[in-house]
Amino acid sequence: MTSAKISFRLIFSLFVTAFSIYLVFLLNPDGAPRILLNLFTFAGIYGLSAIGLNVHFGWTGLLNFGHASFMGVGAYVTLLLMPHAAGREGEVTTTGLPFFAALILGIGAAALFGLLLGLPAIRLRGDYLAIVTIAAAEIFRLLVRDLESITGGVYGIINYTENFQKYRPLFIDNFSENLGFSPSQAWVCLAAWVSIFITVLLLKRLSDSPWGRALRAVREDEDAVRAMGKNAVWLKLQSFMLGAGIAGLSGVLLAFNYGSLETTVFIPLLTFYVWAIMILGGVGTITGPIFGSIIFWVIISETDRLAYLLFENANGQQLAGVRFLLVGVLIMFLMIFRPSGLLGKKEELLLDVK
Amino acid sequence: MSNNLISVNNLKKSFGGLKAVDVQELSFKKGELTSIIGPNGAGKTTFFDLISGFQSADSGEVSLKGKNISSTQPYKIARMGMVRTFQLTKVFDRMTVIENLLFSGSNINNDSFLKSFLKLNSQKLYESNLKEKANQIMNDLNIGHMADSYARELSGGQKKLLELARSIINEPEILLLDEPLAGVNPKLAEDILSLITKLSDTGITILMVEHNIEAVMKISERIVVLAEGSLIADGVPNEIRTDTNVIEAYLGKADE
Ligand SMILES: Nc1ncnc2c1ncn2[C@@H]1O[C@H](COP(=O)(O)OP(=O)(O)OP(=O)(O)O)[C@@H](O)[C@H]1O
Ligand SMILES: [Mg+2]
Repeated sequence: MTSAKISFRLIFSLFVTAFSIYLVFLLNPDGAPRILLNLFTFAGIYGLSAIGLNVHFGWTGLLNFGHASFMGVGAYVTLLLMPHAAGREGEVTTTGLPFFAALILGIGAAALFGLLLGLPAIRLRGDYLAIVTIAAAEIFRLLVRDLESITGGVYGIINYTENFQKYRPLFIDNFSENLGFSPSQAWVCLAAWVSIFITVLLLKRLSDSPWGRALRAVREDEDAVRAMGKNAVWLKLQSFMLGAGIAGLSGVLLAFNYGSLETTVFIPLLTFYVWAIMILGGVGTITGPIFGSIIFWVIISETDRLAYLLFENANGQQLAGVRFLLVGVLIMFLMIFRPSGLLGKKEELLLDVK
Repeated sequence: MSNNLISVNNLKKSFGGLKAVDVQELSFKKGELTSIIGPNGAGKTTFFDLISGFQSADSGEVSLKGKNISSTQPYKIARMGMVRTFQLTKVFDRMTVIENLLFSGSNINNDSFLKSFLKLNSQKLYESNLKEKANQIMNDLNIGHMADSYARELSGGQKKLLELARSIINEPEILLLDEPLAGVNPKLAEDILSLITKLSDTGITILMVEHNIEAVMKISERIVVLAEGSLIADGVPNEIRTDTNVIEAYLGKADE
């Protein structure tokens, strides 16, 4: 019976996802492949981040509203460890680690940041943790902006993409030429989806293990966890580190997708987008955020075209208003129709939206 | 102190101006089945909170097996073999009944991230043994048929049973039960009582807070009475039944 329910949810999610991709074709008679590549790159990167957030909130019940800072730590540490150029003068640093070594250290740094942020904050009750994480994320962003000599401050970091693009296999170039893609974005896109695949495998392994079960127990009742002789604080810190590490990886991918990195990327809006994706996909699920992310990005990228179809004579500013209205309406509609998200179980509904 | 498993010295806890607990000296011997009774607000639950580490005392000392645990964290106290239940039942709502038990029964090594990542055979073996033990306990407590239901789908009484099951799966040395019979039907109360007696017979030390005075009189070897935070009586059931202080503060005039 449960497996029948799961497959229904899966089929429904696949259907909605396929339909939204079809919409992209419908709304963009020419140039759809390029738009789709862009969309799938962002969807992959944000989806990965939302998968990490789900470890925090969906599995462990931690209200983390500073997710963008984990992405930021991952991105900044990785880029700064590789050859790059930073700051107003574009000061070039030619020495540095190879991409994979820097990436691993970047992910580690994000996890460590999760631990450091968690240590004082995690003893707080849920809603206080939310406030602390928002504040910590903003402090991180402002610090990065002010440490101009290292991070490039408001001028950001450039000239780092080659570190990663030099590993681009030839087939991507051939394939991209045929479809009119940007080969470097296609490479980032592939990397994002490979990362999702590996992360999902890892989390599937962990979710039905005794460790995953312990995290869910923490989500349900910390006092009872303690009464059973389990260290709830340590479990929460482990969850924080794992989710932060995943976010760090997605931050690195985001940096390579943009080609230049500025602190404005990691504003709170990023965190809220990731939250929206997680909720759309299904809180507490592993693969839900993937569907949530694709649909979210179809909505984000296609609503201006929809708005244009509805109001042909409107100017850009008016369209932007209509667009965000449509985003809100569509997300609301999805949440009313499936309050536990696309893949979420009703029994494990974590958000009492009704 | 030799054969005292738990001793309490000058333990005080106030909330604002209200004295919730103020106990001079109290100790519990190994294997004893003791009930703690007293009016609502007497400080019984607070007393449990203090000795299990869930609240810290304003002053005084609690020792467990001769070790001062006044500022020890609750999970460490639980690992020392003293496990409690809660007056307001705390089950893991959105986990199944069996998962509730497996989590509670699993030792911390088995829960570790590394073991769970590596999925060692030893973990699989441990889990299947644990599952067997969990099934056994569920059947003993008549919740076997609910094994795969979410805990939040259980009735109030069934949740009490689940909490009890969860607290005994690890074979604790000391069990603190806060109103195990509250909201449980008479037939089930019988079953729980006989389980408690059975556990006590196996040598587990049990402290039980309970308002069902008949049950308390029937199974307790010793009764401790609290009123307004202080100890007002301590003795075997027959002494307590006739103690004028206790009658006045708690039992009321029993003229029938
Ligand atoms: N967290 C708290 N904050 C303030 N006062 C509290 C708190 N916890 C308990 N009290 C007070 O301490 C006193 C003792 O409460 P406690 O819960 O220990 O009583 P009890 O003996 O368990 O009562 P009952 O039989 O009703 O469960 C009560 O007067 C209660 O109001
Ligand atoms: Mg009480």
